[in-house]
Amino acid sequence: MSGFSFDQLKASFGDKRVIGPLSLKVNDGEHVALVGKSGAGKSTLIKLLYERLTRDASLVPQGLGLVNALPVFHNVFMGQLDQHPLWYNTLTLLRPFRKDRAVISDLLNQLGIAEKQWSPTASLSGGQRQRVAIARALYRHAPILLADEPISALDGPMAHLVMNALTERFHTSVIALHDVDMALAYCNRIVGIQDGQVALDQPASKLNASDIMTLY
Amino acid sequence: MITKQIRKWLVSGFLILLASSTVSAQTFVFTAIPDEDETKLVERFRGIADYLSEQLEVDVRYIPVKSYAAAISAFRNNQVQLAWFGGLSGVQARALVPGSEALAQGVEDQAFYNYFIAHKSTGLERGDELPEGVRGKTFTFGSKGSTSGRLIPEYHIRQRFGEAPESVFSRVGYSGNHTRTLRLVESGTYEVGALNYKVWEKELEDGNINTDDVRIIWKTPGFPNYQWTIRGDVDARFGEGFTDRVRQALLDLDDPALLESFPREGFIPASNDDYEPIRSVAKDIGIID
Amino acid sequence: MFSYPTVRASFLFLAIAVAGLLVADITITTANPWRDLGQFFLGVVTPNFFSTEGLLTALLRTVAFGFVGVTLGSFFGFLLALLYRFMPVRIFCAFIRAIHELFWALIFLQFFGFHPLTGVLAIAIPYAGIFAKVYSEILDESDPEPAQLLPKGTHAIAAFLYARIPDCWVQLRTYTAYRLECGLRSSAILGFVGLPTLGFYLESSFSQGMYSDAGAMLILFYVLIATMPLWVRPKVLPVYILAAPFFLGEGFPIVWGNVERFFTEDIVPAPLRNGEGLAAFSSWLGDVMVSEALPGIWNTVVLTQIALVATGILSLLAFPLISKHFGGPVRRTSGHVFLVIARSTPEYILAYILLQLWGPSMLPAVVALALHNGGIIGHLIGRQTNTIHLRPDAPQGFARYSWELVPRVYRSFLAFLFYRWEIIMRETAILGILGIYTLGFYVDSAIQNIQFDRAMILILITALLNIGVDILGRYIRRKLALQTMPTC
Repeated sequence: MSGFSFDQLKASFGDKRVIGPLSLKVNDGEHVALVGKSGAGKSTLIKLLYERLTRDASLVPQGLGLVNALPVFHNVFMGQLDQHPLWYNTLTLLRPFRKDRAVISDLLNQLGIAEKQWSPTASLSGGQRQRVAIARALYRHAPILLADEPISALDGPMAHLVMNALTERFHTSVIALHDVDMALAYCNRIVGIQDGQVALDQPASKLNASDIMTLY
Repeated sequence: MITKQIRKWLVSGFLILLASSTVSAQTFVFTAIPDEDETKLVERFRGIADYLSEQLEVDVRYIPVKSYAAAISAFRNNQVQLAWFGGLSGVQARALVPGSEALAQGVEDQAFYNYFIAHKSTGLERGDELPEGVRGKTFTFGSKGSTSGRLIPEYHIRQRFGEAPESVFSRVGYSGNHTRTLRLVESGTYEVGALNYKVWEKELEDGNINTDDVRIIWKTPGFPNYQWTIRGDVDARFGEGFTDRVRQALLDLDDPALLESFPREGFIPASNDDYEPIRSVAKDIGIID
Repeated sequence: MFSYPTVRASFLFLAIAVAGLLVADITITTANPWRDLGQFFLGVVTPNFFSTEGLLTALLRTVAFGFVGVTLGSFFGFLLALLYRFMPVRIFCAFIRAIHELFWALIFLQFFGFHPLTGVLAIAIPYAGIFAKVYSEILDESDPEPAQLLPKGTHAIAAFLYARIPDCWVQLRTYTAYRLECGLRSSAILGFVGLPTLGFYLESSFSQGMYSDAGAMLILFYVLIATMPLWVRPKVLPVYILAAPFFLGEGFPIVWGNVERFFTEDIVPAPLRNGEGLAAFSSWLGDVMVSEALPGIWNTVVLTQIALVATGILSLLAFPLISKHFGGPVRRTSGHVFLVIARSTPEYILAYILLQLWGPSMLPAVVALALHNGGIIGHLIGRQTNTIHLRPDAPQGFARYSWELVPRVYRSFLAFLFYRWEIIMRETAILGILGIYTLGFYVDSAIQNIQFDRAMILILITALLNIGVDILGRYIRRKLALQTMPTC
């Protein structure tokens, strides 16, 4: 079961309340799109959810959190560091095992960056870096996905491919998206955030793009 | 890459431990106080090492050190078993190593003396006592731990003026050794200095002193100085009677070139008691507790 | 102008230094300082590379001690860096790095004697303290986000290896390489107290006026340092590190009884050792304080402040030498050569040379400290100006210097200067061994008189003074909001 329910979600920056207090209940199988103006508190909400879900969530943060000095392979592999003993991880750092190479290679292939497997992450373009972070989340394979603008640097077809992969791989997800059409296309529930509060919460099927634009 | 690094560190640490334990235990090692130019010392004491090695039939090695204290510490720590000390350093060393004894001294060391020297610009002339005119001049000792470079000059300065050298002179320095005292006064860096008469005379003989620039202004009364001192535990380590054999070898030394390098006429027996005057002067001045 | 805190601070330090100059002893006492200096330069341009049979061995030993010392220092420094958030570890590190390599060597000489361990530990211990501080600063600056994203339950070491180390690897490597260069300098200097490195022969030939021999050694040393990027390669580094311990020389076996004696007898204050009671101890301590510690502290502080300001002035004068905003490539290249020589020559050797040439006073020490440290800061600032793009119609010449460049680099200049404050003080204290009446003079005297109890007290006081200046320097940098960079 991968649903969750939290009350009293709140965060402040200095004296200023950024989010909440609010309650959020997500059911098993729901794909929730968080929409709203930038600065509305979406990122903060994602962070709050990650703090509470920890072990159960794969996170794609807006900053991506990549280790620039490591190759793409290792950045993706970091998604499963908890699955292996220390010696295994250490050896992998020096020389990856064949079976991990195969799995990660497939994943990268699916995201269209197979040829970058051994490039240092620092040398990639913005869109490629974003896909590395997504690959890491996919590889992690936690029950829930938390993603903050995961397709902001991707062009049309690639954005669709990624959204497809994410919603297919994860049974439940909360994804902050500024692209309203993508939200309507891939998520089944839309939550609009305004000034740190939930201003809209509807099944995607009951909304169209113009309903959502009122938040902006 | 990180494990590689760690492996390197570990291995090199192990090797240091390995490298620490590789010196032959049966080498008889000696040192000498660095009272003169090092080139001369190395030349002189390598000759002595060869001579002793032949006479004693053990490996004998000389190590040069950079300070009087280092010579004393090496002797105390049993890293050298024999040393050519000055009067003061010998007293200090024997106080620290119970059982050690003065073996032999140079013929001249029974009544050694010092010269006070001055740069020509001071206009000071040689007198029967330390001239009053040195007051207010700049002055250099030799090494801080030296008998003829420090202890005896300081003793006489205090006797003559009833004050510490720092208040008699406008500036007090420590040149490091006798040769350098000579050079510094000769060049006028210091106006007055005190040094071992042997160094002065040897340099003079070799034509290394410009007597227009520097002259002797006073000769101190005699005092016991240099001696060979040996540790008390060498017999246990190198065999019964080893101390006596070393003493005999030193007394028998008659190679003119080697003696000339010191320079000494020859060596005669010495005892710890011969250096009592030095000990009491050092105590008066506060160099030893 | 005076409304800027940085300007006010600068003038305050300038005023202190000028006041210091009034009380300091800065005369040239040699009759013919320029003739001697001339002879020395003549010696440098007519080097004699075949004088000492031991020259190549000495060079080899210098490298070996440097490598082993820095390797051990970086290894233990790294371990300490991981624990650096704990206050006792911080205090421990501050303490061991506040004591100069030469003081450590003098201490170890008393019980290890001429064993390689003396030289190795003399470098490794203070370096471990420095490495711990800088490594921990570098690690703290790494991006924390990747670590936060790791799945919960990841082993702490795995997290460290994946999310922290790779991010700082380049910086760690650069800094370690820089310290390796410092290690070679430290190693060379250890010869002055009797270890078999370059300083040993340099001191001998210099004191005997054999300037051509000394010149040859200095030239070899510069070449050694300047060519480091060529011969210190990541690929061959393991070979060096593995081989270095075998080239330390054999020395003499350690007698462990000496170690025990040193710690249980030698350094116990004489009145306590002789059972004379606390009253005798306090009068003994009073005597040490009044006749040695206080004059030593006073001279150390005065000399440090003068040298600090002289360093600052020299760096401001020197940075245009390598700045692309002034002069062409020829002038910049010669500027680089000058600054490389200035900063590769250890202060101790510079001060030693100048003391021989000018006679004993604070002047040679000030000039030596200013040249070495000014060379370093001038180089860093000059390099920084090369990243500045001036508008096409920017003024030329002095106006460009004073209106365009100095204001832009002044804050980082001050940051570097205050960073080096502690280093300058540590060096100032040690220069006492050469005969200037700073704390090192009294430490050396105590050791020459075989009074290790006094020596240890004075070394402790020196360490505390350094820690004090370090704290003050950091306070001022924070107050003036100067960013700190661990690279200098």
